[in-house]
Amino acid sequence: MLPGCSVLVVDPLEETREVLRTALGRRGVRILAASEADQGLALARLHHPDLIVLDLECEGANAGASGKIAAQSLADETQLLVLGNARRVAPELPAGQFVPKPYHYAPLIRKIEELLEKARQPASRAG
Amino acid sequence: MPSLFVFRGNNQGMRFELEGEAVSLGREAGNDIQLHDTEVSRRHAELRRAAKTFTLTDLGSSNGTYVNGKRIESHSLANGDEVQMGGSMMLYTCLGDESAGDLADKIDIIARHQPGDRSRIVRSMSQAEGSRILDDDSGGATSPWLARARSNLQVMYRTALAVSHTLDIDQLLSRIMQLIFEWVEADRGCIMLIDADTGKLEPKVRRNRKGVKSEDRITISKTILDYVMEHNEGVLTSNAGEDERWNPAASILQLGICEAICAPMQGRYHMVGVIYIDTSISPQRVIQQQEAAKFTEEHLKLMIAIAHQAALAVEDTRYYSAMVQAERLAAVGQTIATLSHHIKNILQGIRGGSFLIKEGLSQHDEGMVGKGWEFVEKNQERISNLVMDMLTFSKEREPEMAPADMNAVAADVVELMTSRAKEKRVELRFAPANGLPTLTFDAEGLHRAILNVVTNAIDACQAAASDDEGAGADSPPRPGAVEVRVEYDAAAAVVKIIVSDNGPGIPPEEIDQIFSLFVSHKGSRGTGLGLPVSQKIVQEHSGRIAVASRLGEGSRFTLEIPAVPPESVSPNAKSDGKTLV
Repeated sequence: MLPGCSVLVVDPLEETREVLRTALGRRGVRILAASEADQGLALARLHHPDLIVLDLECEGANAGASGKIAAQSLADETQLLVLGNARRVAPELPAGQFVPKPYHYAPLIRKIEELLEKARQPASRAG
Repeated sequence: MPSLFVFRGNNQGMRFELEGEAVSLGREAGNDIQLHDTEVSRRHAELRRAAKTFTLTDLGSSNGTYVNGKRIESHSLANGDEVQMGGSMMLYTCLGDESAGDLADKIDIIARHQPGDRSRIVRSMSQAEGSRILDDDSGGATSPWLARARSNLQVMYRTALAVSHTLDIDQLLSRIMQLIFEWVEADRGCIMLIDADTGKLEPKVRRNRKGVKSEDRITISKTILDYVMEHNEGVLTSNAGEDERWNPAASILQLGICEAICAPMQGRYHMVGVIYIDTSISPQRVIQQQEAAKFTEEHLKLMIAIAHQAALAVEDTRYYSAMVQAERLAAVGQTIATLSHHIKNILQGIRGGSFLIKEGLSQHDEGMVGKGWEFVEKNQERISNLVMDMLTFSKEREPEMAPADMNAVAADVVELMTSRAKEKRVELRFAPANGLPTLTFDAEGLHRAILNVVTNAIDACQAAASDDEGAGADSPPRPGAVEVRVEYDAAAAVVKIIVSDNGPGIPPEEIDQIFSLFVSHKGSRGTGLGLPVSQKIVQEHSGRIAVASRLGEGSRFTLEIPAVPPESVSPNAKSDGKTLV
């Protein structure tokens, strides 16, 4: 269980938002979801989630907004998991945080859980 | 805007518009124009804006930069210049600044009986008459020189005509050969083109005069070919020695004389090939006519001119076919990319659905199974729509015109879309037409045409309403509303299906593209097929589709179809079905 963790899902696909909401919600993770990057950016700034799952096709009307999300996550030291093949949005991201599409949900969810565990570790060590 | 079009090389088919003051070219990703070519240096060359054009400067590249076949250090580009770096060939285009608008200001077309217009038609001449300008009977040739000059001009005129309207190189070359044979008494002839890859001459067309054995091989001296290629000069050869020309020697009387003309096909920038003709004069004829030469300097001159014309045409044809090919490749590539993208998203949705079903089953959570099933069904529907839209564009599909009720077709669409509208909190209204008779149209096709427009309308309203998980949207939610109205105008014999929404409207800069294939402004939801499909179906009915849109207020799509009463459509087809034998 990962209670107290929060994940922001920025993905235009309703199915992905719903699957992550259902699967992670059951593990006690708080889910914030947005279909477009603008919305996602607002949520990220407001709630500072532990992890952002960002689909590269979430640009919507505002090109470049997904880059801003990536920048925001760097500023907040939030983990970022990018869904898509391109590294163009955030080339400075370490490898392994990209999940190419199409993907399967079970491994994706495992990966999210791993990242959340990692995010918690430094905190628990400090405390 | 000035641009570089790549017509050969790995970037074939790409067009780079040249913006800004400086544009860098090279193999590295950091360049403004990246050429995927191993023979191109990492930082190969630079284009710098200079007055109305660009100056191309080589940045010390290993393999050099070429303009029109010549290596350059720095060169001011002109429209139509051919730029080569490594194996990549590019065409530079830079259109003049005179736009059509300015020209329209400078040219006035005035009505016939205006006081200022005193001109009248003095003589009129048909196109055909104009092309007889060089006919022999046009004014009695006085001197042989004039007659010959006129005949030469005529040959050139016909060559120009022959090369002006063909896009197939082989066809073009055989026409040129035919022309040459009509004009000069050659026995055999051939055209060879330089192969772009090997640099070697490849025979393309050969022709024999009637009566000359066709299995005769044409033997061409390599020395002559090399000379022509190297010096870029046409040559006239004869095996009769200069001194023997007017004094037939014994050997010539036995063997006859062989003469040949070989002319370089010099194009704008490169030599593209050679034209060769030869003839042999029998010993009998040498004696009879006391004349040892059929080919003259005049022939050579004209051959060079014809070869030049032909070379220009070959070059143009090659450019054209490279562009067509490149565009076709680009279109196929775009089609595949777009379709795989949609299919990928649908697949993702189905995977989401099946994941939820599996989880739900293992945890006996019926709600989750239900949700998953909903996703699977929704994506099934998306695949079906995608396939139906694609089929509409395929050639096989023919519209099936049959008597039907337009009100019923529109009502079907509304019924089908009601649940989707409700899900997105959009009100969907329907207003059928009064007194609408049964008309002849492709009911299935129009169902799809209306469906696509209504789907867009609902999506537009959804975009306007703040739909998702309350991410602090700054605009207050506005109840979306879509109306589907059928109108029948008996006097004008048209039926209109009007779909209006109160969505955000279409920005003026996007409205020109909404019927373009694969252009979608709906993000991942749009296939870019919907409206083009609607338009195609409406056009198949000789109808038209119009759009009016105001930003912030909504859009209105009007599908206007000519009302065709059932009896006026092919009575044969009807009786055929019921013919009693």
